Amino acid sequence: MLEIKNLHVTVGGKAILKGLDFSIEAGQVHAIMGPNGSGKSTLGNVIAGREGYEVTQGEVLYKGKNLLELAPEVRACEGIFMAFQYPVEIPGVNNTYFLRAALNAQRKYRGEPELDSMEFLKLVREKLKILHINDDLLHRAVNEGFSGGEKKRNEIFQMAVLEPVLAILDETDSGLDIDALRLVAEGVNRLRSDDRAMIVITHYQRLLDHIVPDKVHVLADGKIVARGGAELALKLEEQGYTWLEQGGIQSLGAELRA
Amino acid sequence: MSALAQQWGESLRSATPAQGPRWLDELRLRASDQLTAHGLPQRKDEDWKYTPMRVLEKLNPAIAYHPGSENHFLEKGQTTERGLNGKWFSDPIFPAALLDKPDYEIRVYDGVLVGHEGSDRPGVTVLSLTEGLQRYESLLRKHIESVDISGSAQAFTALNTATLNQGLVIHIDQQVDAGTMLLRWALSGKAGPSIHNFRVFLLLGEGTRLQLIEQFESADHSGSALNVVVHVELGSNAVLDHLRLQNESENTVLMSSTRIDQAQGSRYLYAGFDLGGGLVRHELKTVFGGSGAHATFLGAFVLDNARHVDNHISVDHASPGCSSEQFFRGVLGGRSRGVFNGKALIRPGADESSVRQSSANLLLSPLAQIDTKPELEIYADEVEARHGATVGQLDEAAIFYMRSRGLGEAEAKRLLVAAFCRAVTDRLENQALAGRISQLIDQAMPSFTQEN
Ligand SMILES: Nc1ncnc2c1ncn2[C@@H]1O[C@H](COP(=O)(O)OP(=O)(O)OP(=O)(O)O)[C@@H](O)[C@H]1O
Ligand SMILES: [Mg+2]
Repeated sequence: MLEIKNLHVTVGGKAILKGLDFSIEAGQVHAIMGPNGSGKSTLGNVIAGREGYEVTQGEVLYKGKNLLELAPEVRACEGIFMAFQYPVEIPGVNNTYFLRAALNAQRKYRGEPELDSMEFLKLVREKLKILHINDDLLHRAVNEGFSGGEKKRNEIFQMAVLEPVLAILDETDSGLDIDALRLVAEGVNRLRSDDRAMIVITHYQRLLDHIVPDKVHVLADGKIVARGGAELALKLEEQGYTWLEQGGIQSLGAELRA
Repeated sequence: MSALAQQWGESLRSATPAQGPRWLDELRLRASDQLTAHGLPQRKDEDWKYTPMRVLEKLNPAIAYHPGSENHFLEKGQTTERGLNGKWFSDPIFPAALLDKPDYEIRVYDGVLVGHEGSDRPGVTVLSLTEGLQRYESLLRKHIESVDISGSAQAFTALNTATLNQGLVIHIDQQVDAGTMLLRWALSGKAGPSIHNFRVFLLLGEGTRLQLIEQFESADHSGSALNVVVHVELGSNAVLDHLRLQNESENTVLMSSTRIDQAQGSRYLYAGFDLGGGLVRHELKTVFGGSGAHATFLGAFVLDNARHVDNHISVDHASPGCSSEQFFRGVLGGRSRGVFNGKALIRPGADESSVRQSSANLLLSPLAQIDTKPELEIYADEVEARHGATVGQLDEAAIFYMRSRGLGEAEAKRLLVAAFCRAVTDRLENQALAGRISQLIDQAMPSFTQEN
C-alpha cells in the first residue's frame, strides 16, 4: 500500500529525515515510536503533503504510484488521512459543515453522489453513537476552543466519517483520558480491514495494548533504526530511548536491527 | 486644478439656475463658487490621502441636471412613465431586491426618484425634495445649511449642494414604527458617463423606529457616478436600523456622505457592505446631542480587481454616557485597495462614554492594500475605550488542514473568507437578510483558481 525508499527530507534547510525506509501492506497496523524530534511528525506531514518539506532524495509510492506529485486534497481523496498531533483551530468554520464539505469533495472525486444535509446527519449520528462523542462539538467551529483531548477525539471522529484507506495517527493518544484512549483504539480497530492500513505514531505502550500492531518501527535521527513485532514496544517502554542510543540497538537481535 | 473640476465649474456656471427658496438659491451659488475655487480632493487633504480621484477622472462624468422632473414625484402606488398600472415597470436596471415585501419601496434611477410603493401607515410621510421644502422648509434648511462645503476636501458635498434639486424626504411622527423601507439606487450610464447628485432626509421623531435598507446595484454596467448626501435626525429614543449594500460594477463611482444627529437615548445601527464598485467612499458622521445614545457601525468589504473602497467613520461623543462601536472586516484581492478611518472624539464632560473599535483585514494578494487608521481622542473621565486593527493573510495551516481532508485549495480559501466575514453578518438581527448578504459575499470573492 505504502512504500517509502531512502527518503531524505529537509525543513528550512535542515536535514530531518535521512534515508528512511518504510513499508506497510493493506490489512496491517504499524506503530512508529522514537524520541522527540526524531522526525515522526515530519514523516506524517510529508505523506499528507504539507508545504515546506523538501524531499531531496528517495521516493514515496502509494498504491504503486508516486505520492509526492499529488496535491494534499488529491491524496485525501485517494484515501490518505492524517490525524494531526496538533489539530488546527479554524474559527468561524462550522465543524459539521466542514466535514460534510470534505466528505462530499471526496465522494465527488470518486464519482459517488454527494450527501445532502439530512443524509449526512444520519451518518454522523451513527458514528457518534459508536464513538460515544458528545455532539455539542459538532455545532462549534472546527477545533476552536476545544480542549487537547477534544481535538484528538474530533480527529478520530473525522477519520470515522471519512473512512480512509491509509490512516496515520500522530500521537493521537497523547493528552487523552483513559476512556478517550479506549475510544481512539476502538475507532482504529473498527476501521481495521483487509483493504486498509494504519500507521500509529505513539510514545506509549498503553495505546498498543488496545491496538496490537503487526509491526513496530523505531525512528531515531531521521532513520528507522529498529523494527520488530509488538514486543519491541514493550522492550522500549522498559528500557527507554537512551538505552537505544547508547548501544541498545547492538544488543537487539540482528532481525530487529533495521 | 484638475481638468474635470474645471469642466464641472464651467458646467455649473452655464447651467440654468434652479428655482427655489431664496436662501437655497444663494447657497447653491456659494457651493458652486467653492467647488470652482478649490476643485476636487487632493492628496494633501488629510482625509483623502489614500483615496485618489483617478477612477473618477478616467470616467470623466458630466454633471447631470434634472430640472423639473422633481415635480413629477408620485403619490403612493402611482408610477412614472417607467411604470404601468400601479405596478413596478419590471426594469432590468434594478436587479433582485435584497428584501422581499418591504413596507415601503422607493427607487432612484439615474439620480431621479421614479416612484414609490408603500403601506398606509399614519404618521409616515414620504415626499420628494420639492414637496418636502414646501412642508418642512425650516427643518430642511437647518440640515442643508449645516453641511460643510468649504475647501477641496468637501468638493462632493459642495457639488451636491450646488446642484441640489433632487431628493427624498422621509418624515416619521413621534412614537410611530415605520416598519421596513427599501431604497434602491440604480445607474444606467445611458446618456454617457454622468455624475448624479441626490439628497436624502430621514427625520425620525421621538420614539420612532425604522429599518432602512439601501441597495446600490445596477444591472447595467456602462459606468456612471452617484453623489449622495444623507441627513439623519433621530429624536430621543428613536431607532434607525440602516443597512447599506453596494454591489456596483467596476466603472461606477459612489460618493456618500451621511450626517446623523442623535438625541438622547436614540440608537443608530449601521451595517455597510461593499462588494463592488470602482471608486467608493462612505463618510458617516454621528453626533451625540443627548446622553444615553448609541451608535454601531458594522462594515464588511470584499474586493477584487482594482476596486477601491473607503470608509470614513466619525463619532462625536458630545454628551456623556453614550456608547459607540465600529466593527469592520475587509477582504482584499487583486490590486484592490481599502481604506478604513475610524474617528471617535470624546469631548470634555462626556464622562462615562464607551468606545469600541475593531478593524481586521485580510490581504489575499501581494498587490492588494489596506490603510486602516483608528483615531481616538479622549478628553473626558471614566471612559472605556478599546480599539484594535489587524492586517493579515489567510491562515496557511488552516488551508492545509482543510485540504488534507479533501477540500480543494480554492474551496478552503472561500470557507475561510466566508468565516471571516460572518463576524459581521452574524451580528445582523434579520437572519434572512444576513443569509442573502452572505451569498452575495460568496459571489464577490476574488477567484481563487488563478493567483490574483
Ligand atoms: N519548520 C521547521 N523549521 C525548522 N526545524 C523544524 C521545522 N519543523 C520541524 N523541525 C525540526 O524537525 C525535527 C523533527 O520534528 P518532528 O516534529 O518530525 O519530530 P517528532 O519526531 O514528531 O517529535 P515529537 O515526538 O516531539 O512529536 C525537530 O528537531 C524539529 O525541531
Ligand atoms: Mg511529532
